[in-house]
Amino acid sequence: MKDMIKITLSLVVIFIAAGIIMTSVFAITAPVIKVAKEKEEKEARQKMMPDAENITEAGIWEPYGKRGKYFEGKKEGKTIGYLVSTYGKGYSSYINILVSAGKDLKIKSINILGHGETPGLGDEIEKDYFKKQFEDKALEQIELVKAEGTDKIQAISGVTISSRAVTNGVKEAMKLLKEKYGVAQ
Amino acid sequence: MSNTASYWNLFRNGIFGENPVFRLALSLCPAVAVTSGVKNGFLMGVAVLFVQTMANVTTSLLRKFINPKVRIPSYMFIIATWVTVTDLAMAAFARDVYAQMGLYIKLIVAFAIILSRSELFASKNKVVPSFFDGLGMGVGFLLALVIIGFFRELLGKGSLWGIQIIDTKPLLIMILPAGGFFAMGILMGFFNWIDIKFFGGKGASGAGGSHG
Repeated sequence: MKDMIKITLSLVVIFIAAGIIMTSVFAITAPVIKVAKEKEEKEARQKMMPDAENITEAGIWEPYGKRGKYFEGKKEGKTIGYLVSTYGKGYSSYINILVSAGKDLKIKSINILGHGETPGLGDEIEKDYFKKQFEDKALEQIELVKAEGTDKIQAISGVTISSRAVTNGVKEAMKLLKEKYGVAQ
Repeated sequence: MSNTASYWNLFRNGIFGENPVFRLALSLCPAVAVTSGVKNGFLMGVAVLFVQTMANVTTSLLRKFINPKVRIPSYMFIIATWVTVTDLAMAAFARDVYAQMGLYIKLIVAFAIILSRSELFASKNKVVPSFFDGLGMGVGFLLALVIIGFFRELLGKGSLWGIQIIDTKPLLIMILPAGGFFAMGILMGFFNWIDIKFFGGKGASGAGGSHG
């Protein structure tokens, strides 16, 4: 009985001390991280749509239960394209993808904003040769295949789950755009 | 033995005598996962080196206070705290570095080698020797990852540090997980051979499993 109390107490003290350390570090770093992240996201958006004079938030949606935003890019008062921040469920994390599409609802480019996939394997999705495959594709053409030489999206060998996650995330984003903006045309 | 010499021996032990990958065969899962390239191996190694050293020092400082019956959860918490603190501090104050290293830091929580050094060494030794043990183990791990990464990237992708060197992929299997184990096994044998042949070592004792 006495032992039990001693063990519990020893653990409690360590856990509380570690908890305090982690909480204080979190309290100091969280605002800095938030500001830096927002700045990076804004720069990423501008980079994805260099022609747009201003990019305004058009709404919030929920891909795979995560919270993403979508934007309209405008030039001289006219909408020239859309940006969607979307997610795909990868091997060990949710992959955050930014999709840029033109007014014709074809993809201009995609960018991987963040993920926690296996270094050396899953992070191949960040490579240009993979991302470039999405360019100029419409919703119907976004499909993952394992064969070479098709006009679909080709999976990276050994990285099928992460490849599929990106493909699905982009597909969801394009579905959203079609739903919101497709009918009006 | 003078202090300096014994510290040097502790440091050296981590690189040759008890190299985490080639000798203790610990933390092989992450070692296979990240050694598809030299750069990945190097960054992972640096992250492990830091956390290993800090966890060893902290465990050694707290060794009289930690109740032996609950030492493992205590060590886990020390490691988790260091990993979290490093992760957050880097994300806030060194974002360029974090963009490169962020993926690796979080993986370290589950590293068998760090826990095993806390248990086998830091919990029984003073702070300074523990520091050198951690440093040696970290450097040993780093070197092992870089060497494995070198061969896997060169043979599997024909590149080094992401730069294309030869315009073909001689052995694609090397960058896949199975190839990782091939490379590791061959290098492990080579490492033992050199040790026995030139340094009069005994070779690996065959101790230790590969969990984590």
